[in-house]
Amino acid sequence: MGEQTTLRSSRLGRMAAFAGTGARVGMNYLKHYGQRCVGAPQDENLLHERNAEAVYKTFSELKGGPLKLAQMLSIDQGLLPDAYASRFAQAQYSAPPLSYPLVARTFRREMGKSPLEIFDSFSETAAHGASIGQVHKAVKDGRAFAVKVQYPGVAESLRSDLRIVKPVALQILGVRESDVEDYFREVEERLLEETDYKLELQRSQELSAASSHLDGVSFPRYFPELSCRRILTMEWIEGLALDRFAKGSANSEERDRIGQALWDFYEFQIHTLRFFHADPHPGNFLVRDGGLVVLDFGCAKKIEPEFYRRHFRFLDERLLDDRDALLSSLEDLSILLPGDTDAYRSRIAGLCAESIEILARPFRKGFFDFSNPTFMRSIYDLGERNRRDENLRGFRGRRGSPDSIYVNRAYFGLYSLLHTIGARVHTRLPDWLRES
Amino acid sequence: METREKILHAFREQVARHSELPASVIALCEPLGMSERDFYNEFGSLEALESAFWEELVAKTIAAVESGAEWEGFDARQRMLAFLYAFLEKSLDVRTVLLFRFRHLSPVASPEWLQGMERRFKGWAFSLIGKGVSNGEIAGRGRLVVLYPSALYLLLRSVIDFHVKDTSPRFERSDAYVEKSVNLAFDLMRTQAIDSAFDLLRFLAPRACGKS
Repeated sequence: MGEQTTLRSSRLGRMAAFAGTGARVGMNYLKHYGQRCVGAPQDENLLHERNAEAVYKTFSELKGGPLKLAQMLSIDQGLLPDAYASRFAQAQYSAPPLSYPLVARTFRREMGKSPLEIFDSFSETAAHGASIGQVHKAVKDGRAFAVKVQYPGVAESLRSDLRIVKPVALQILGVRESDVEDYFREVEERLLEETDYKLELQRSQELSAASSHLDGVSFPRYFPELSCRRILTMEWIEGLALDRFAKGSANSEERDRIGQALWDFYEFQIHTLRFFHADPHPGNFLVRDGGLVVLDFGCAKKIEPEFYRRHFRFLDERLLDDRDALLSSLEDLSILLPGDTDAYRSRIAGLCAESIEILARPFRKGFFDFSNPTFMRSIYDLGERNRRDENLRGFRGRRGSPDSIYVNRAYFGLYSLLHTIGARVHTRLPDWLRES
Repeated sequence: METREKILHAFREQVARHSELPASVIALCEPLGMSERDFYNEFGSLEALESAFWEELVAKTIAAVESGAEWEGFDARQRMLAFLYAFLEKSLDVRTVLLFRFRHLSPVASPEWLQGMERRFKGWAFSLIGKGVSNGEIAGRGRLVVLYPSALYLLLRSVIDFHVKDTSPRFERSDAYVEKSVNLAFDLMRTQAIDSAFDLLRFLAPRACGKS
């Protein structure tokens, strides 16, 4: 990883960077349609991929807010074409590192001491980067630590970055601002929370203590005395990143075990704690000695019992046969509004029934094989179909609860992680849904 | 405290408290119980005094960074970054004076009272450039390389300029500015671009460059 060579110091510079992308995307479309006119066969996916590359390049150069934003947009399959989504999903690994003197400076300012006054050794280059910070490895008294240092100024500039970048980004990506207003508000709130490492420390400790009884899941130890607003210190854990594990040579028994641990961890958080790790990115999990280690609680979401009930009511298959119950559940979540026409209502109800049928499949039999590609394919297809449906433009944002964004993100992320791992897991509907 | 230190201290207090330069040598020395003779033993004029004041800020910064544990392992780019961060840190002690003197000063102006700082910094930067050239971070292009310390001095001045206007909490934006501008400067010094930039700067601001 080379240190960052392209610079965007001023807001104007940032705008210029976006204009550059706009032009590049435009050129790619021109090439695409140009070739189409002269009759050369052209793959639409190829075009998306080329554009994704250009857009991605711009976002990753900008770091901070814009990169986060791109990652967020990539969660929701309905918002972005596949090629963009998969390109952005890798973003976490690619942000360029900060210089060591700046890291030392941040230490001195936040902790009053330089890294070497606190630790016996401290790696000058980052072990890995994240969108708003980077992780260094440090040693003290023979013990290894992972020290996350936040980019200076990120917290302060995030909000203004988002405001400036949002309209331009939306235009490049081809979505309308009014369609995604609530979405952005919710995302912005979570992003700003992520810049507060004190809050992250508190949540990490809280969630890992609450989940410590789970089988096959463990958490690093956290060190409040070595942490502050901009620096977060935890135990260093040697392990295999989850995506490497997935690509590696693990046998099906090992895969099932990791998958089950992941499933149980999310089920417990969402259905019992109703407070969960909302960033199911493969970089946030490690595999060590056949067990799962969960890192990074920067993005965590709490849901209210009332919303929880309304939302997970849709796991109940009986809704598929009971049209009135389905419609009233949709009204409860304000996905359907009182003024909707009958035609619209039945159309939405149909779509929702289809989504429920697909998304609730893992729960149905008490056992599910995520390695089966047709399941993921049908989720993607559903998303892609909805995205292309002109009548659904503007549907999101004005309807439904913004709370569902992170619940969906968690489940969608969980499903795709389990698919990548190729795991078969035992599943179980929450008790209140089985009895009633 | 030695006479020299006392005078420098009195200068700083005077400027910080009253937002104006000492009116005369007498006005500065009398409250200290010193004679004019004592003053002129140390400094040739009030301008020389102020020049020494700013030179000392740079000298102390250099001493602080070079005694750091990581210094020996740093390459030229990291050394420049470390210097600027340390300079920002040190300048917090004299921020009022810094604001008074630099807020309305163009970053390319080269007044009499900054001669000491400029000379001292360029001397240090010269050896920094030497290190950069010897380890391949900076393209060595014969006589043009002697202009690089001037480029780094301009960078320092632009950082000061940014810093005195910065109002972000804990001056985090200044940190980001340092990081980005040093990276740009060293990227440029790897290529031909800086030669052309110099040509332009010398054309626009003949007073600022090529004077040393």
